[in-house]
Amino acid sequence: MTLRTALARWYGVAVVGMRRTLARTTHTARQRVRFSVLGVAVAITLLLVVTGIGMGLTGGATVQDDDVDYWIVPEGDGASSPLISTDAPQFGSVHDTADTIRATEGVDSATPVLSQVLRVTAGNSSEYVLVVGVVNDGGIGQVSGVNVSALTHHDPYYGDGEYDGEWTGEVALSRSAGATLNAAAGDSLSISGNESFTVTSVDGDGARTVGDIPTAVIQLSELQTLTGATTHDSADQFVVGTNDPGVREELEDVYPSSTVNSRSEMTASQAMDSDLSVALALTAFVVAISIGTLFVVTTMGLELVADRTQLATMSAIGLSGRTQLGIVGVQILATTAIGGVIGALGGLAGIRLTNVIAMRTLTSEPIAFSHPVFVLYGVAVAVLIGICSLPVLLLVTRRVTGGVPQ
Amino acid sequence: MAARSGSRPDESPPPLARADGVTKRYRRGSEPGRVARALGRSSPPKVTALEDVSIDIAQEEIVGLAGPSGSGKSTLLHLLAGLELPSEGTVTFQGTDLNTLSTRKRTRLRLEHVGIVFQHFHLLDSLSARGNVALPLVELGVPKKERRKRATELLERVGLEDRVTHRPGELSGGEQQRVAIARALVTDPTLVVADEPTGELDTETGTRVLEQFERVAEDRAVVLASHDQPTLEIADRVVRLRDGRIDEEATVRAPSRTDT
Repeated sequence: MTLRTALARWYGVAVVGMRRTLARTTHTARQRVRFSVLGVAVAITLLLVVTGIGMGLTGGATVQDDDVDYWIVPEGDGASSPLISTDAPQFGSVHDTADTIRATEGVDSATPVLSQVLRVTAGNSSEYVLVVGVVNDGGIGQVSGVNVSALTHHDPYYGDGEYDGEWTGEVALSRSAGATLNAAAGDSLSISGNESFTVTSVDGDGARTVGDIPTAVIQLSELQTLTGATTHDSADQFVVGTNDPGVREELEDVYPSSTVNSRSEMTASQAMDSDLSVALALTAFVVAISIGTLFVVTTMGLELVADRTQLATMSAIGLSGRTQLGIVGVQILATTAIGGVIGALGGLAGIRLTNVIAMRTLTSEPIAFSHPVFVLYGVAVAVLIGICSLPVLLLVTRRVTGGVPQ
Repeated sequence: MAARSGSRPDESPPPLARADGVTKRYRRGSEPGRVARALGRSSPPKVTALEDVSIDIAQEEIVGLAGPSGSGKSTLLHLLAGLELPSEGTVTFQGTDLNTLSTRKRTRLRLEHVGIVFQHFHLLDSLSARGNVALPLVELGVPKKERRKRATELLERVGLEDRVTHRPGELSGGEQQRVAIARALVTDPTLVVADEPTGELDTETGTRVLEQFERVAEDRAVVLASHDQPTLEIADRVVRLRDGRIDEEATVRAPSRTDT
């Protein structure tokens, strides 16, 4: 058989397989085939919804911003660190160190960052909010997704090295914090019982994003005062803005037991550190493959047994076992792919529905992440289900074909 | 019914297909499993469908197989077409003993040399009439354009030019059988076997289908099983079967095919 003949044959096999799938789905064996498609679609829908929720959980922990290029974070082992020993290792003397970093050639901006979840009260609304303390040096536009330009520069309360400067009480709220607390610019706030704060800005009406945690950004020294972090002038990390990759080495020398992460490293690290979301996505994947394969093997197996007269006819008129297996293989993959497309669209709708229900009952923000690439993922997993089902179903085909069609 | 042209040479050429002392037995029911055998269940009895039958099919000859239901007509057809193997005896096609061929080679032999027409048509319900006719050509690796052309031509020859894209469910019984005939002939086989080709059709439709069958199967050997006398009238000779044995062989018409 020449290559041309072989290609023509397998092209024909693919066309016959596709035609049979479409005709059997829409005309001749609707119930059985549609049941197979439905089984795959349900498995893929659940897979995408669970994966979307898992990715939503990942997104919730982010502190990244476009203006930040490097993060200096303490090494994991607080005991061997010269840093302050608390629940998690922190840096000390951060105001002075931030000045040193800013003086480094190539560094555009730098600020220590201290984060605490504190109760914030605005009028009758009282919620736990992520409160972030920063030093606005004029170079960093956003921290934790909140525009900090409304904060007075250089943390005036810390002043000349003592916590006795001017208390600003300025608070920049994220959009979600503004919505949660029902607060607008000019409103008074109480943070952890301290009522001296005033909202200076609320981020605009951006689109609601997954993991948009209600966040309030205030002056670093004021948060240190609220949380008792003034003793060692401590903070959790530094964020540094620069266009010069050469500063990394100097940043690594700022604290001996610290780690400097670039933007890409931070992203990868976050993804890997999000054990729960990875576990959720992986579990959903394994369950979808297992359930989907069992379902397809069962329903398509029944379909093949019901189709044995036609398989025997193919054999009688001279179609080889290999050709019949090819036709059946195409039918199985096409059936699961159709299920994949329907399931993927169902998954996106399911994520949307999940978010709507969550926002009406539990949260103020979407909890599940969705992306058009989920459609490709869903179809790919569905085809994988088809591939996993193939060996058993081809074995069934070999057993039921041949002989005299009855 | 039109007779066909052609004549037999004085010296008989070797037969196209030959059944020699063929016996076929079927088991009634399934073999007991290991546990059932251990519990004393014996193998089911066998039923003899054909016993010691010998028949030659010459090139371009039309042979009718007659006999009541259960006489073994269909079984003999299946053996000649290589769909089944005999329990005893040999079936040869163009001199090759089918017992010596693997399933794959017998399937290939059917594809290239044998066209089969079933009583119940056995068309693939998910393909159009043209798709059904062209299906054997897929196995041969014939390009799509050529497949469509040949299938369409054959459908035109059986008078179905306006039913090319219809699925079997949208065709009448007579039309389905004509599609089946076109499918049987699309690979230009040397032998066509037809099992009760008019069995599911009314008399008028059956006559029409038979006329077209005779016309398009010209120059090929045909083995036709039927208990319908008018159907057998197109045969050069008729072999009558009874209880699995040849009861009588009779020449229905002159063994030459001449157009009238």
